Amino acid sequence: MAWRSLGRNPRRTGLTVAATSFSIILVVCMMSLSHGNHEKMIEDGVRMSSGHLAAMAPEHLEERTLEQPLTWNTGISQTLASTPGVSGFTPRLDSFALVSQADSTQGMLIRGTDPAREDGVSEIKKRVVEGRFLSSAGEREIVLGQRGAETLDVAVGDEVLLYGVAYSLESAYELFTVVGLFRFPDSRLERGLGFISLEDAQSFYVYPDKVTEVAILLEDSESVPGVQAELRERFEGLDMKVHAWQEVVPELDQYVTLDKGGMYLILILLIVVVGFGILNTVLMTVMERKREFGVLLALGLRPGQVFRIVYLESLLLAAVGIVIGLAVATPIALYFQAHPIPLEGAMADALLEFNMDPVIIWKLRASNLIGSSGVILAVASLAALYPALKASRGQPIDVVRTA
Amino acid sequence: MKYSQRIWVGLLFCAALMIIPDYGSASLRPAPDGASADEIAKRSENNLRSDRTVMTARMTVVSPRITQPREMEFTSWEDREGERSFVRMDAPSKDKGTGFLKLHPNLWMYIPRVERTMRIPPSMMLQSWMGSDFTNDDLVRDSSETEDYNHRLLGIESEVDTHPGREAYLLEYIPHEDAPVVWGRILAWIDVERGVVLRQEFYDEDGEKLRTMQFEEIRQVDGRWLPHVWRMTPENKKGHQTTIEIKNMDFDAEIEDDVFTKRNLRKGTR
Repeated sequence: MAWRSLGRNPRRTGLTVAATSFSIILVVCMMSLSHGNHEKMIEDGVRMSSGHLAAMAPEHLEERTLEQPLTWNTGISQTLASTPGVSGFTPRLDSFALVSQADSTQGMLIRGTDPAREDGVSEIKKRVVEGRFLSSAGEREIVLGQRGAETLDVAVGDEVLLYGVAYSLESAYELFTVVGLFRFPDSRLERGLGFISLEDAQSFYVYPDKVTEVAILLEDSESVPGVQAELRERFEGLDMKVHAWQEVVPELDQYVTLDKGGMYLILILLIVVVGFGILNTVLMTVMERKREFGVLLALGLRPGQVFRIVYLESLLLAAVGIVIGLAVATPIALYFQAHPIPLEGAMADALLEFNMDPVIIWKLRASNLIGSSGVILAVASLAALYPALKASRGQPIDVVRTA
Repeated sequence: MKYSQRIWVGLLFCAALMIIPDYGSASLRPAPDGASADEIAKRSENNLRSDRTVMTARMTVVSPRITQPREMEFTSWEDREGERSFVRMDAPSKDKGTGFLKLHPNLWMYIPRVERTMRIPPSMMLQSWMGSDFTNDDLVRDSSETEDYNHRLLGIESEVDTHPGREAYLLEYIPHEDAPVVWGRILAWIDVERGVVLRQEFYDEDGEKLRTMQFEEIRQVDGRWLPHVWRMTPENKKGHQTTIEIKNMDFDAEIEDDVFTKRNLRKGTR
């Protein structure tokens, strides 16, 4: 009966369905956009910091000096390689040094890393715009950011002097050849970060067999807690702590959380608007059909039965709207997930300010589809309560007469 | 009285308490000989520096990182008026010939082994000098403790760690607003009779103590009371300490202008 009465007024039905599907499309697109954005931020952020997970000596996270060494050995390497969910890892020796050429000197974070493994975490090779990344066999090679090289006024092929204090407190100095320049959205990193090989770093800082951290990248950022627990278990007994990226770069985590909060606020407003839309359409329908319901009641239908008819009608409307909405939204989201939108001009500059690549990436999650459908259905069923109640409450005589 | 009035009176009372000077504290106690804080500070600096000074010293760094203390020797030449100085490492052999030249406001370093001169930017003034607990700023004294700070006499104390029984002015140094200095506040204990500094504490702008310098072995050189041992203890690096032991000090020395040149810097060893 509910079906049939929907079919009787296709325009009214169509409008309600359209409103519902439109809101589903909006919600799904917005969530995909926002998730894609966050995932990209996290991805970029963790790749250039210490990965999704970072293994460090206890207290290194707080102190960040050479005072808390972590001994790197093949055992750790094998354990990491055999842990499911780990997509890449590299041992690193991060420390500070002055990098100098002629009259220009710049204090930089010098990242000693395994040239063969680094790319698996930071995808640095993709970011090298001039020259090349460190070669595995090369000695005394350094890769600088383009801005850093500009400050020092050096080009690929030039020699720079690295000067610092070794772990032994001796002065450390060595000439390195610039073999490549990288670009990175974060201008501070592009100016103040240099890559050398782990071996060179260990001899420069007199830090044999030791590293400051092992950066670990996971296949999926969602699996951070699981793999973290797994690694903690596997490294049980070693003097080592495994930190999640949220602990290593808390400012990134805070930013994402804040942004998510903003997104949910807008979604809630949107859903409230959708709810009132549905309430409005169903209520108007009930008003228009007062006479019809009056007759039904007069014919002996119990108020409960009338309530059920109206309620079922609205739920059906919502369900049809949701199905259509999902059918439209999913391909859209999937398309943009596969085809990131490149940005240009002022928009691109704005994103670069936030240390992000100037592209917009969408990310569709099954949980979002289910979640948004569920919420809209729930809102629709809430919104239909009042009109349905109103329809079932009429006095048959009055209603038929006045109508 | 209405409730709101009572609050106002209370607030006024509190404000009045805050403006009334604290006569009970030592801050306004005058020095017995009537010397002003500025004069005491100046006298103390003159005990350590002359217009042209040549110093030979040994530096010892202890740290939990190393089993053997790291020892270095260096010679420094200072031209106070010209705001220039020159330092040459004499030992160990790895650092022999390494030189530092300050021609205000620039600081250069020369490393003979790689034959490179490096400019040390002002932002690096607080970096460790040669792995010690002294900074580049300490080395070349880019800031002046008499000229860049306001001085205030806080009182007189008679128990300054290694100098029992000696009375010392407790002076507070607060930098001028536009002074290019690195400390937020310095406390200095200065011997009342000899005018020589006995102890200094360095604080950052938030009032947190960062390091303490103790001066020991005070003997007269050319009529000046000179501490021959300077002991620096940083607060944030547990177990670290650097001692400078002065082996020879020439006040009012003859120094040729050639010393303060980049050419001399690149000469490596003397």
